[in-house]
Amino acid sequence: MNNSPKRFVLVVMVLILVLGTMFALPLLAQANEQVSIDAQGTAAGSEGASFGIDDFARNNKGSARTYEGRDVGYRYPMAGASAFAALVLEDKLVIFIPEEVQATLGLDFTNNKAAQEQFVTLLKALDAHNARGGITLEQLNLPVVFTNAESIQHAGSIITFGVEVEPGYYYVVLTADPSAATTPDTSKLISFMATGTIVASENLVITPAPKGLEAFKEFLTHMDYRPFWVSMRTALTALVFVFILGLAAARLTLRVSNNVKDLLDAIFTIPLVLPPTVIGFLLLVTFGNSTAFGRWLIDNGIEVVFSWPAAVIAATVVAFPLMYRTVRGAFEAQDPEMLDVARTLGWKESRIFFRLMLPLAWPSIAAGTVLSFARALGEFGATLFVAGNFAGVTQTMPLAIYFEWMGGRSDAAVFWVVVVIIISFIVIFFINLYARHTQKFRMGTAKEEDKGEGIYRFE
Amino acid sequence: MFQTKNENKNRLSKVVALLLSLMLVASAALVLGACNGQAQSESSNNSNGAQVEQEAVQLQIFAANSLERALPEVQALYTEQNPHVTFKDTQFKGSGDLVTELQGGAPADILITASASTMNTAVENGSIDEATRIDLFANDLIVVKQEGSNVNASSLADVNSSAITKVAIGDADAVPAGAYANQSLFTVGLYSDESGKGGTYTQGFDAKVIIQSSVGNVAKTVSTGDVQIGFVYSSDLYRYDGIEQLFVVPSNTHKPIVYPGAVVANSANANEAAKFLDFCLNNPEALKIWAQYGFELI
Repeated sequence: MNNSPKRFVLVVMVLILVLGTMFALPLLAQANEQVSIDAQGTAAGSEGASFGIDDFARNNKGSARTYEGRDVGYRYPMAGASAFAALVLEDKLVIFIPEEVQATLGLDFTNNKAAQEQFVTLLKALDAHNARGGITLEQLNLPVVFTNAESIQHAGSIITFGVEVEPGYYYVVLTADPSAATTPDTSKLISFMATGTIVASENLVITPAPKGLEAFKEFLTHMDYRPFWVSMRTALTALVFVFILGLAAARLTLRVSNNVKDLLDAIFTIPLVLPPTVIGFLLLVTFGNSTAFGRWLIDNGIEVVFSWPAAVIAATVVAFPLMYRTVRGAFEAQDPEMLDVARTLGWKESRIFFRLMLPLAWPSIAAGTVLSFARALGEFGATLFVAGNFAGVTQTMPLAIYFEWMGGRSDAAVFWVVVVIIISFIVIFFINLYARHTQKFRMGTAKEEDKGEGIYRFE
Repeated sequence: MFQTKNENKNRLSKVVALLLSLMLVASAALVLGACNGQAQSESSNNSNGAQVEQEAVQLQIFAANSLERALPEVQALYTEQNPHVTFKDTQFKGSGDLVTELQGGAPADILITASASTMNTAVENGSIDEATRIDLFANDLIVVKQEGSNVNASSLADVNSSAITKVAIGDADAVPAGAYANQSLFTVGLYSDESGKGGTYTQGFDAKVIIQSSVGNVAKTVSTGDVQIGFVYSSDLYRYDGIEQLFVVPSNTHKPIVYPGAVVANSANANEAAKFLDFCLNNPEALKIWAQYGFELI
């Protein structure tokens, strides 16, 4: 027993270490890069170059949408009036850099090989950073063509750069070339394009993303901790209802005839068997405005669906059977003769319940409470259906894990996974402690029993 | 086995103490919850009244799962330009689930689904205001593999090749991407129903199919390598790490993929909701976001 708390601390430390390593590993991998990219992934500079890239964006699709009813062609947004555009065509990468930018920077990108290489290095680094899983320029490795011409012809289309479609917004526009023999699908000619502005190095401020321990600290300070509190608030509130309703239901089933008992038991246990989504749907139909009952509730100011009470109701419904069944089992195991003895001594039923049945069933009640709490804490399906996913209101830890993971923020998902594991560990650990404690206690009373001391002592 | 009187009392007092503390926590939580509820109902009451230009409005959007990364950015942009409009956390799920929820009475202002057919269902249910329905985006159906995996397929017929043993497809009833995939599979004889719904997969191929509840789940299971290939939208490539495009499914093998949007029939903020939909379509800054995430505005 003395070792247990130490072991517990050890496990928690190991878990924290695992989380820390997860952050450190990817950062170690990219430690040796000469190009530095800022934290937002929109600006980059390199040590040797006299210029850098700012306002970078990678556009994977354009739009054929008309502007004020006017057909302007298929267009991709550009970063500004003097932005560059890099177009990925079938067989080459065309990079357009406006004449005025080349003049301002004093760099001739059309002929200066060194400047071209520096530019492409920066472009590839930013592209890889913004690819979002799409194929990168690095992987494509296409031949590069630099141009400062305002429009070029390509595969039966005319590509025009820097078209001001609406005031202040510039586009790369593709239109069919009237002199060409075939009309191409202009939306498919460019597989993706990148745009941004070229600025002199001294005007470029790059604050790189923090690394290692700094990144972990950054992560912890920006982490949204509300799912933890929502989970606790929801599970504990649900537990109060589960505790009272579970005890009441267990007591009720003991006092009715066997047929009624079986029926009630089926009703009370069914939430344990039904898939949570079914429960969620039933609750949604009950409280939503598609049924008369739901409408009546809403008319009377009780709007449950997609609110925090809905999360509590969902957790209560799914956790209730665990409490009910555990306690009922304990009640049924109690010696009916013993209860009769109490009755012959003139005890009222309520007194028998509170002073005799409850204390005797206490270990089972405690176990049922812990199980229900765990179930309420882990509730996912029904909650999602009837309470939705609202950060700070109904977004519990299980919902947070699902949505962070689905949303591609795996680090946040892992964080919550570790938190849930730690909580579960603590709960199980204390159940074990408690169980051993009661076992010893019982063994103690058993010894006393042997001595024949007041075992059935009532007043 | 009975305890002596003292022990009995101890136990009882423990129970009572536990109960009391639980009650305390619960009541505190309930009070907090009630406060929240009150604040919310007040604001919604306000918006029921005459539409004053700068009155605070909170919009609730139900959107197809595939918009999960792009839409919140557009919402943030909208709030930046129109500070009186904020958004409740948008619910991203399979389009079919969203329509079912709306029918079940879940409160929302805007519905954006990933197929015309799911929106048609919403129209039939009377869940949305048909006059506000508008097509927002076009998308392509693509087949993806895990990044760096050596699986090879370049056409629909290859999907049933012997090298491929697990194929993830969205549940056609709830996930439009699944229905489009089935329509395409029908053209190569791997699915029995032209509509993409209610049919069965050809024997031999059916054992390979793994049905997923959302297009996001398809992408995730492919990215972890649990299945070899999956049918997703081209926009999903930019939404999830770890997947790589194998080929674009020819657009003439399935119905055109459009994302329709509409204002929900019983929305209390129908005016503001319609304005937001218009913003999504016409704002040049919004266009930049859609373009980055691979959504092609129609």
